Amino acid sequence: MSISKITDTSQNNDQLYSSLSQNLKMIKNTLGNSDDLIIREITIGKAEKYAFAIIYVDGLTDKISISDSVIDKLMLDIEASDETETDKIIRYLRDSCLTVGDVNDIFNFSTLYNSILNGDTVILLDESSTGIVTSTKGAKDRAVMEPSTESVIRGPRESFTETLRTNTALIRRKIKSPNLWIKSRIIGEVTKTDVAVMYLNDIANDKIVAEVLARLDRINIDGILESGYIEDFIQDSKYSIFPTVYNSERPDVIAGEILDGKIAILVDGSPFVLIVPALFTSFLQSAEDYYQHWMISTLVRLLRFFGISLALVAPSLYVAITTFHQEMLPTAMLISVASQREGVPFPAIVEALIMEVAFEVLREAGLRMPRTIGPAVSIVGTLVIGQAAVEAGIVSAVMVIIVALTAICSFLFPAYSLSNTVRALRFPLMILASILGLFGLMFGLMIIVLHLCSIRTFGVPYLSPFGPLILKDQKDALVLFPRRALLTRPRLISQKNTVRGHKYFDTKKRNQSNV
Amino acid sequence: MSKFKAICLLMILTLLLSGCWSKRELNELAIVAALGIDKVDDEFKITVQVVVPGEISSKQPSSGRSPVITYHSTGATVFEAIRKMTTVTARKLYFSHLQIVVLGDELAKEGINETLDLISRDHEFRNDFEVIVANVATADEVLNVLTPIEKVPANKLLNSLKTSEKTWGTTESIKIDELINTINNKTTSVVISAIEIQGNKNVGMEQTNVKRSKSPVLLKYTGLAVFKKGKLIGLLTEDESRSLSFLRDKIQSTIEILACPKGDTLATEITHSKTKIKGKFENGAPKINVSIDVNQNVGEVLCKIDLTKEKSIHFINKKTEELIKKRIEETIRSVQQNYRVDIFGFGEELHRTNPKEWKKIKKDWLTIFQELPVKVEVHVNTQGVGTMENSLVSKSKGE
Repeated sequence: MSISKITDTSQNNDQLYSSLSQNLKMIKNTLGNSDDLIIREITIGKAEKYAFAIIYVDGLTDKISISDSVIDKLMLDIEASDETETDKIIRYLRDSCLTVGDVNDIFNFSTLYNSILNGDTVILLDESSTGIVTSTKGAKDRAVMEPSTESVIRGPRESFTETLRTNTALIRRKIKSPNLWIKSRIIGEVTKTDVAVMYLNDIANDKIVAEVLARLDRINIDGILESGYIEDFIQDSKYSIFPTVYNSERPDVIAGEILDGKIAILVDGSPFVLIVPALFTSFLQSAEDYYQHWMISTLVRLLRFFGISLALVAPSLYVAITTFHQEMLPTAMLISVASQREGVPFPAIVEALIMEVAFEVLREAGLRMPRTIGPAVSIVGTLVIGQAAVEAGIVSAVMVIIVALTAICSFLFPAYSLSNTVRALRFPLMILASILGLFGLMFGLMIIVLHLCSIRTFGVPYLSPFGPLILKDQKDALVLFPRRALLTRPRLISQKNTVRGHKYFDTKKRNQSNV
Repeated sequence: MSKFKAICLLMILTLLLSGCWSKRELNELAIVAALGIDKVDDEFKITVQVVVPGEISSKQPSSGRSPVITYHSTGATVFEAIRKMTTVTARKLYFSHLQIVVLGDELAKEGINETLDLISRDHEFRNDFEVIVANVATADEVLNVLTPIEKVPANKLLNSLKTSEKTWGTTESIKIDELINTINNKTTSVVISAIEIQGNKNVGMEQTNVKRSKSPVLLKYTGLAVFKKGKLIGLLTEDESRSLSFLRDKIQSTIEILACPKGDTLATEITHSKTKIKGKFENGAPKINVSIDVNQNVGEVLCKIDLTKEKSIHFINKKTEELIKKRIEETIRSVQQNYRVDIFGFGEELHRTNPKEWKKIKKDWLTIFQELPVKVEVHVNTQGVGTMENSLVSKSKGE
């Protein structure tokens, strides 16, 4: 058990007083006499000459460890001591009495406040300007549960929680390497949120690590409540609608990314861990891709890619073809579509906008409403959108099919953040298609692709390995090669150590160490 | 930042410049399935067959209204007549999905060349529709007939044209661009499939025509119409049409009926046919050799013949060869004498074999064609006898 001294860097007026009553008064004043601040004053020792105060915040601490390891020891063990000088009593307490893992001396108020607000317990002794802080953190936290946003059939069933320590432990349990380093920062003037940066020191690019830490240090804000705050601060292009920071609540996904040489950012209070640099392809890959047969994964990835393209362009394609390029449809289909459009009072674009907006509203309502109202909304949604609108002749049946198809396809995204981007981009594309037909659609798509080509995330081109084309990295991009062929890490991310394994024997060895 | 905004603004403005100039909603269009062109008193009479989408769609119960509507108008040019039609149509005519163009009998006799100009020039027309000629009827009358099964008569016209081309060989689909190429070519004359109305023309327009199991009025392809310089000069018979298909190597499948050695008949199904035409000049005199390779199966046996014997198969082969050869030779002779136009493409073949010699005879080609010696060789191979060996007829007669 190592005991380290916290260096005192604060000003003199921040120093603890030597009088216990003065100290306690100061603490009570600063915390505004809050209810959850517990101050237990005890006098012990022979002839009851030592006055102690045990200070902690109720709810943030582990009560059992306070009573067993702090109060119990203080009350019973001090009797055995016959020290009289307060400094020696403090040392005795610290070195041979308290049975808590992490014990430190404190000399000033700011450290004291930080400690008790983090769930530690502070012990102050009368006639001493040195206090002792013992680690008794034990706030209620959620258990590690199944991931709710990224579910898989095959794969680990655990997900991150709101507690930073639990989260770092979940990653450590997957990567048992001494090279897995954690750099911590406290961000937020008021909230003092713990943020941890995790990476494999021998693989991750030093420059990117330094850049991540530098960007984190630049953040100056009152509070960080979710990793989304951090994401917004550190991402490269603030005007881009595309996400350049990847997030996941699955430890296996994060561990996989760290093994690729990427850098994880964990924020206390959020089960969503950030990964930088995030490539466009990351958002199209699911964890399960790596757990099932590679041929299946390749097929699924291609299907996903097709579906995602459809989610982006299906409504605009429909609008463009039915209002500008009717000659592109086979005659029989044209007649069938035309017969359904008969009597619809709106132009195709208005019809499409109505349905898409209606769907988005339903979807948003479904997310936000209380769970118990769920069935009601889905019934109203199905009946109103699906059936009544068609029967009333407001929209055509084809349009409903298109919207449904688009909706289903937009759920194909393994990453929710890109799905939102595609949802948003669908609308400008629809309007372009209604003004210029396929030409407008192509125009819009071209702008999107050009934009994607221009984005960089922490110095890495967003579209790599497609733009720039890196042939070696195609093994794990649109298609997935068998495990034993994936011998290198993505080239642009980890330039330090790109070798994953050597042929089959080493691969086998590596798999064993990973399990 | 302001630069970024300015660029965005410019881009958005550029989009608005073009506007929605070619925008047309699906329910603002009248989809034209067939176009008919007739000539009435020196004016073009145009008939369009417009699909009524609501009546075609299988989902909605039919309201008893006609699935297609025909509109008519006349004008000094085809273009004028089409534009004039907007005064009677409910919507703008949309020609991109045109399936078939029917040329009236009268028009065909007077010449079709100038008529085709618009439909091949205008950008709204695609160039993948078929052209047919009405026989003893106007295009108007043909397009007015309602057809059973296919709700859109244009589809029926197109489908039977293609099906009979594939399985019988008396029709020949010719797309507009192909037609115009052939007309431009000048050596080979155009043949276009001809359609005729069977039954009372006026009844065909009524819904009753499609309400009975036996339609009183039907549209039937009657063979191929021969054109000379864009003018209709005659109609080939069914046999002649099939021979022409053989010569043009267009036969995919057809039927031959043979006489058995001991009376009665036997039908074979031709499954594959390959025609090679070779031209040559002998001392400046052109000659044509035609060789046809035919594969066939025995299709129907109505006579007493032992199909298990190789001799019988030889007999069938030889008989079929003779039959086809005889028919083709007759057709060539008939065309040479009656129509005096090269519809077989012999001229082109001669041109290909020997361009120099061809140049010498090019001018008098039509005269030379009339006397052109054509040698026809047919080789038939019978591959199968179907799913049974000897016929019931031969068994019952053998007992």
